[in-house]
Amino acid sequence: MPKNKNDILQGTLVLLVLKAIAAQGQMHGYAITAHIQRVSADLLRVEEGSLYPALHRMEQDGWLSAEWGTTEKNREARFYTITAEGSKQLELETESWMRLRDGVQRVLRYA
Amino acid sequence: MSWFARIANVIRPNRLSEDLDRELSFHLAERTDELVARGMKPEVAQRQARRQFGNYGLQKETTRDRDIFRWLETLLGDLRYAVRTLRAAPGFALVAILSLGLGIGANTAIFSLINAVMLKSLPVRDPEQLMVVLRDGSETLTNPIWEYVRDHQNVFSEVLAYSAIDFNLASGGEARPIPSNWVSGGYFTTLGVRAVLGRTLLPGDDVRGCPAVAAISDAFWQTEYGGSPSVIGQTIHLDGHPFQIVGVIDPAFFGLDVGAHAQVYAPLCASTITNGSDKWIDDRGNWFLQVVGRPKPGLTPSHVRTRLEMLTPGLVAATLPSDWPADAIASYKKARFDVASAAKGFSELRTTFRKALIVLMTVVGIVLLIACANVANLLLARATTRRHEIAVRLALGARSARLIRQLLTESMLLSLMGAALGVLFAMWGSRLLVHLMSTSGDAVALDLSINGSVLAFTACIAIATGVLFGLAPAWRTGHVDPHTAMKAQGRGFAAGHSRLSMGKALVVAQIALCMVLIAGAVLLLGSWMRLATVDPGFRRDHVLLMSASLRGGSVPTSPSQQSALRRQMLDRLRALPGVRLASISALTPVSGLGWNNGIKADGFRPASRKDGVVWLNAVSEGYFATMETSLIAGRDFNMSDVSGSVKVAIINEAMAKTVFGSGSAIGKRFQMRKGKEYGAPAEIIGIVGNAKYQSMSETPQPIAYLAMGQDDDPGPVVNFEVRTAGPTTDIIPSIKTAMGQIDPDASLEFTTLDRQVAESLRLPRTLATLSGFFGGLALLLAMIGLYGIMSYNVARRRNEIGVRIALGATQGRVVRMVMGEVGRIVAVGVAVGIILTLGVTRFVSAFLYGVTPRDPATMLWSAAVLATVAIVAAMVPAWRAARMDPVSALRDE
Repeated sequence: MPKNKNDILQGTLVLLVLKAIAAQGQMHGYAITAHIQRVSADLLRVEEGSLYPALHRMEQDGWLSAEWGTTEKNREARFYTITAEGSKQLELETESWMRLRDGVQRVLRYA
Repeated sequence: MSWFARIANVIRPNRLSEDLDRELSFHLAERTDELVARGMKPEVAQRQARRQFGNYGLQKETTRDRDIFRWLETLLGDLRYAVRTLRAAPGFALVAILSLGLGIGANTAIFSLINAVMLKSLPVRDPEQLMVVLRDGSETLTNPIWEYVRDHQNVFSEVLAYSAIDFNLASGGEARPIPSNWVSGGYFTTLGVRAVLGRTLLPGDDVRGCPAVAAISDAFWQTEYGGSPSVIGQTIHLDGHPFQIVGVIDPAFFGLDVGAHAQVYAPLCASTITNGSDKWIDDRGNWFLQVVGRPKPGLTPSHVRTRLEMLTPGLVAATLPSDWPADAIASYKKARFDVASAAKGFSELRTTFRKALIVLMTVVGIVLLIACANVANLLLARATTRRHEIAVRLALGARSARLIRQLLTESMLLSLMGAALGVLFAMWGSRLLVHLMSTSGDAVALDLSINGSVLAFTACIAIATGVLFGLAPAWRTGHVDPHTAMKAQGRGFAAGHSRLSMGKALVVAQIALCMVLIAGAVLLLGSWMRLATVDPGFRRDHVLLMSASLRGGSVPTSPSQQSALRRQMLDRLRALPGVRLASISALTPVSGLGWNNGIKADGFRPASRKDGVVWLNAVSEGYFATMETSLIAGRDFNMSDVSGSVKVAIINEAMAKTVFGSGSAIGKRFQMRKGKEYGAPAEIIGIVGNAKYQSMSETPQPIAYLAMGQDDDPGPVVNFEVRTAGPTTDIIPSIKTAMGQIDPDASLEFTTLDRQVAESLRLPRTLATLSGFFGGLALLLAMIGLYGIMSYNVARRRNEIGVRIALGATQGRVVRMVMGEVGRIVAVGVAVGIILTLGVTRFVSAFLYGVTPRDPATMLWSAAVLATVAIVAAMVPAWRAARMDPVSALRDE
């Protein structure tokens, strides 16, 4: 079975989503994709198919809390905010990402 | 994800799915807007947004997959599938469920009994606080001790005393005994038990000189008074004395004795009315009361003990029976008081049946194991035929964990259905058990309704058995290699061997366990049969026993009047047509009662005080002839052995041997202890054969029979033995009429010697019957297992056997081949079984009579029974193999 080639992406998705929400406060799903795309200068594109399962998992893990609200366009949307536990998780994920980046860089440089 | 979140998802599965829909459609709307803003046509933008989003349905599924709803849905699917597969093989399902039902039912029935007798707390307020006062480990105390404790103790915040008694409801004629309690005034308040009608007995009811009042149980109120409210204030006659009913007690409460529901409660002080004086209640040697209290809050058991210790000197000084012999007084002074939990009440059953119940629980546990092995074997056989299906599913990407889960669902379903059936069996079986334990004279009353703890127990064993027998086949499934299994095309030739060895191991285990149960059953059945047929030293049949209470009616009788009545009654009985012989005695054999005393005789040097004690009885002339106990030497008592003449006694052989050695004992004398001294010497005039005294299992005890005619005050209750010519009970009506003419106030109770002996054997009988039944059940289950594995084995080797027959093997040879395999399985099973049996039968040694726990003949017999039945069970598959048509067997290839 083709085991996901976007494994890394799945791993970093949590980090990116947590970071985006931590920076912006309250966000709905669509805004998260837009935010990540914009801030990364179109380098990163969130696969929409993976986003919602990830959001729900994070909510059930207690990292996010969600509630229904209305957008400026008067559409109903689900808004996510980060919890204290989520902030802690963000720290962990950031740290592990930094380590990964350092590691990969070292390998690229010296190997 | 937390379990809470999963469960929360179950409760709102629809909302979750709806939420998802709303959220995803919002996303699509936003994306479409953006695309339109970039200049796309709305319809194209919508399609593009959806395409960009990917598979919408899969999205929903993935998001939802993590909730328990999905989990339950799978479970439901598995269950549906399991039901379908079971219905596809109804024979298999029937055997499995029936085996499990019998196994689980037996366990539930025995457990409900254990629960009622040993585990359940009393239905009173805070039962765990209740403590019983013990004196040197014994629960019974005298009334003087109770009164001292009640008035001087600083241990209990509330304390009560009670005693079980059978009141006689009839006034004259045949007695109607009813289980009742004497209770102290604080009984109901201490226990926190209320009345449903009227009032309970209160401290004010229990003062010396009290009026005769009584409270009755709810059951008694229903049966005797039809539940009428006008019962309050009515009069009830207890032992012929009028008592006024003041209340009906809460139906949940049955007294403190488990297994004997008290129907009438009367205050302790009223015993002076039924006994006619204070003599009985003030007797310092009359041990009849149990004292139960609630220790004051904060007192630890060691505090309680210390406080009781501080109470003891004053108590001993106030209650010492001063007429006792010196050594008895010394030990009275040394007695220590202690407390023990009374949360579960008191039960004679608990002491007599405790060990037996544990033995039975083990037995039914083994039966359940055998049943489990059967079902495991059936499942294994099926798992093998399902190998192909499983291989296909594995090849299609099913995870083996998922398949194991499905197989376990199936075994759980089987075990739960077995448990449901088992509960039905248990409801009926536990009633049968109580019936088996009860005797006509002593009905056992237990609350055996299937309650929470019994159901919990059943559920636990159902789950445990489901896992136990489901694990082996499931584990094997996890190790199926799809490649080989598919190549085998479901014929199972490649997998056959390991499945077979596992199945054979299970059957060997079944036979070994079966061997243990059969050997146990043979031992217990043999013991019971020996006890029932042992020569007791008297002849059991055609003897009617009549106990008469000659206290009199409203005017109590004097001892001399009682003696005269006794004589008159005996003469009348002897003159009745149909009566061959009749006699009087103080005690009848194996009645559960005993009377003994220390003796002194010339040349008798007992090794200890205990060895100087002999058992006693007082009998009239003709007793030995009536009982058909042989008179070996000397003479029987006669009419001239009366008070004033030389004191005489007849002793049995055992006493003649232990006390007087080898020479003739006739004419020798012995003295019995009387208070601090020894009484007047009794001259031995006769020697009789040994007869059972207290129990059928006892070894011959030394017994001395005294002359009834020489006892001036043998008490108001007297036993008559009547040897009849015809059927024993036919004569009761004419006896009742004749006795009524002599003394209309006399209260009579009838039984037969046969029944009394049978009642004394209820424990060995119950154990023997049940172990025989369960042994048979185990044998049946093991044989189903053996039959199953051999049938399977023959079917599996169809090709091979076909080839053998085609090559000229005779039918006899094929049968020998199959039976040889059975022989090996049974031989190994029996060998292991014998080793197990030798290890465990010592736990039943207390119930054995006339046989040792490792009796070789028993082992041989059990092995023979097992082997015979095994051969019969295996004959069918062997015969089928021999009759096989080689052509059709080979064509199947």
